[in-house]
Amino acid sequence: MSAEALLQYLSWLVFLLIFVSTLIRAINRPRRANIDIALLFGVPALVILLGLISLTSSSPMPAWFNALSGSLILSISYLLLRLVDDFANVPVALLAGAPVLLIALCIPLFVLAQPLPGWLTVLQIAYFVLLQLYAGIAFVRAARQVTGVTRRRLRAAATGSVLLGADIIVLGLTRLGSGWMLVSAFAGLGCGISYFLGFAPPSLLRRAWQEPELRAFLGRAALLPRLPTTQAIIEEVERGAATALGARRASVGLFDAATQQLHFVVEGDLRQFPVKDDYPAGRAFLRQEPVFSPDTPRDYPQYAALSRATLSTALLIAPITAGEKRLGVLTISSPHTVIFADDDLALVQLLADQAAVVLESRSLIDEAARVHAREEATRLKDDFLSAAAHDLKTPLTTLVAQAQLMERRALRRPDAPADITGLQRLVKEALRLRSLVLDLLDASRVEQGQLVGRREEIDLTALVREACSHQTSAQPTCTVEAAGPVSGMYDPQRMSQLIENLIENAVKYSPDGGDIRVHVWEEATDARLTVSDQGIGIPPADLPTLFERFHRGSNVDDRRFSGMGLGLFICRGIVEQHGGHIWATSELGQGTTFHIALPRTTD
Amino acid sequence: MVIDDDPSILITVAGILRFEGYDVATATNGADGLRMLDQVQPTLLLLDMRMPVLDGWGFTKTLRERDITLPVLIMTAAQDARRWAAEVNAAGYVAKPFELLDLIEAVEQFQEPPEHQ
Repeated sequence: MSAEALLQYLSWLVFLLIFVSTLIRAINRPRRANIDIALLFGVPALVILLGLISLTSSSPMPAWFNALSGSLILSISYLLLRLVDDFANVPVALLAGAPVLLIALCIPLFVLAQPLPGWLTVLQIAYFVLLQLYAGIAFVRAARQVTGVTRRRLRAAATGSVLLGADIIVLGLTRLGSGWMLVSAFAGLGCGISYFLGFAPPSLLRRAWQEPELRAFLGRAALLPRLPTTQAIIEEVERGAATALGARRASVGLFDAATQQLHFVVEGDLRQFPVKDDYPAGRAFLRQEPVFSPDTPRDYPQYAALSRATLSTALLIAPITAGEKRLGVLTISSPHTVIFADDDLALVQLLADQAAVVLESRSLIDEAARVHAREEATRLKDDFLSAAAHDLKTPLTTLVAQAQLMERRALRRPDAPADITGLQRLVKEALRLRSLVLDLLDASRVEQGQLVGRREEIDLTALVREACSHQTSAQPTCTVEAAGPVSGMYDPQRMSQLIENLIENAVKYSPDGGDIRVHVWEEATDARLTVSDQGIGIPPADLPTLFERFHRGSNVDDRRFSGMGLGLFICRGIVEQHGGHIWATSELGQGTTFHIALPRTTD
Repeated sequence: MVIDDDPSILITVAGILRFEGYDVATATNGADGLRMLDQVQPTLLLLDMRMPVLDGWGFTKTLRERDITLPVLIMTAAQDARRWAAEVNAAGYVAKPFELLDLIEAVEQFQEPPEHQ
C-alpha cells in the first residue's frame, strides 16, 4: 500500500471515530450545537462510506451516486457555517442565503450529463472555499474576544477551516500530479483533528487548556482580600472566573440577608433579584448546588428578555458558600452555549469555593479592623480619663491639704498672723484647676464648633511679644522674630490662648532647655506664625494624629510629662474655626516647629 | 523626706509635717532625693511616682540596688495607687487628693511626731 493510501485510510478512520463520538454526545445531549457538530462529522463519514463502496464495487458507479457524493462534500461548508453561528453570530442573510446557493449548485450535479461543465466546478469550488475562508476569519475574530480554553478551541476551529479549504483546492490540483494526493491527505487529516479539538475537545484536553488561567487566578487569590474594597475583590474574582472558563463575562451576586435578594453589579448598575427558584441563579442559591442552564430564554421564558439583553443565553452558576454562611452565587454567562461543557460545572464550583474563601477572608480582615478601631478608641478614652483625673487631682491635693493646714493652724494658734504664702498657694492652685476645667470645656466646644467668639482687629506680633514675655524662666528662652505688626480679624482671647498654648507646649517638651523662637509674618492674604523649639521632637508616625483629641506623642513618657492631650486639639479648633490651618514639622531629638496660616480677613 | 515634682504639693506636705513637729527635707525629683539621702539620713520617705529626671520607680529601684531599707510611703493621683505601691514594694500609700488627717495618720504609723514622744 502506498503512503498516500495509508494516510487516506488513516484520515478516514479518524473521521469515522470522531463522528461516532460526536454522535453519542448529540444523542445524550440533543442541543443544537451538539447536533450541528455531529452533522458536520456525519457528512464526511457518509462521503467516506460512499467512497468505500465505490472502491469495493467492480462496476462503475451510477451518475446519481457521484452527484450525491459531490453534494455531500459541498454541504460540509454550509454545516460549518451553522457551527460558526453557534460560536459567533453569523449575519442572518448569509445564514439564509448559503443553503439556497448550496441547493442551486447541487441540482446541476444530478441533472447535467457528465462531464460537468468547467464553470460549474469553478463555482462550486469558489462557494466552498469562500465559506471556509469566512468561517476561518470568523473563528479568528471570535477568538480575539475571549480568552483561555475558548480562544484555544476557536483557533483550532479556524485552523481546521483553513485546512479544509486548502484540501479542496489541492484536490483540484491532484489532476496535475499524484504528489498532491499526499498533501491533500495530510490536509484532510489535519482538518479532522483540528475540528475535533475545536468543536468537541475531550474533557482531559479542556482541563489542560483551562489550567493556565485557573492557576493564574488561584495564584492571585491570596492577594485579593487585601484589595481596598469588596467591589474591587468581586471584580477581580469575576475577571478570573470568566478567563478560566473562557467566557465573556462572570458576575458575582451577593446575598443580602435583610432584603432576601441577590445583588449583582452589572456594568456599574446594581441589579437586585429576589431569591426564588424560578431562575437559574436563585435555584443554585436555594438548592446550594451548581446549575447549568444551556438555553436560558427557552427554559426560563419569564427571564428571556433579560437573558437576551445581557447576552446570557448559557449560564453556569455555583453557590458561594463559606461553611454555613451563604454568601451568594457565581454566574458565568455566554451568548453561546457551545463554549461550555457539562463538566465545567465542577470548575465553576471550585471557583465559587475560592471566591467564598476570598470574601470570607475579607470580612475577617474588616472585622479585625473594626475591633482594633474600637479598642483604640477605648484605650484613648481610658488614657484620657486617667490623665484628666491625674491632672485635676494635682492642684486639688494642694487645695485640700493647704486649706486644712491653715484651718488647723488657726484653731491651734488663733493669734498667729495670716499665712500669706499659704493663701497665695491656694489661689495659684485654684487658678490652675480653673484652667484645666476650662480646657475640658473648650475641648467640648471644639466639637460643637463654638470655640471662636467675637472677632476684632488685633496685632498678632504684639500678642506674641506679650505671650513670650510671660515665659520668665531662663531656660528655655523665648525670642520673637517679626518685621512689624501683623494684624487681622481674630478673637483676641482665643488667639492669646493659642499662642500661649503653643509656647507652653514648646517649653514643656524642651526639658533640656534651648531656644523657643516665634516668627510672625504676612504672606499674601494670610498671617503666618511658627513656634519652634529644640526639644524632644515628635516621631513621624505621630504627626498625622498629633492634633486629635487625647493623642499624645508615643515618645512622651506620661510619667514625666503630664497632660490630657487636649492642648493641640484646642489649638487646632481655634485655628480652623478662624478659617486657617495648623501643622507641625519635627525631627526626633532635634525639635519641633508648629506652623499656622490664618486668613487676615473673615471672608 | 518628701519628694514631689509639684512645688505646691511639696511645700504643703512639708508644711503640714513641720507643723506636727517633724524635721522635713524636700526634693523635686528622685535624683535630687538620692543625692540628699546621705546628708539628711531620713527615717521615712514620702514619694511621688510621676516625676521628671528620676521617677518613683527608678528611685525605689536604686534604693534596692544600694540595699537601703527605708520605709516608703507613695503619694499618687493614679487610680491604681495600691498596685503601684505593691510594684515598688512600698510600706504604704496616700492617694491624692488626700486630706490632712489621712497624711498625718499614714506618717504616724511609722513615726510618732517628736512632740508626743
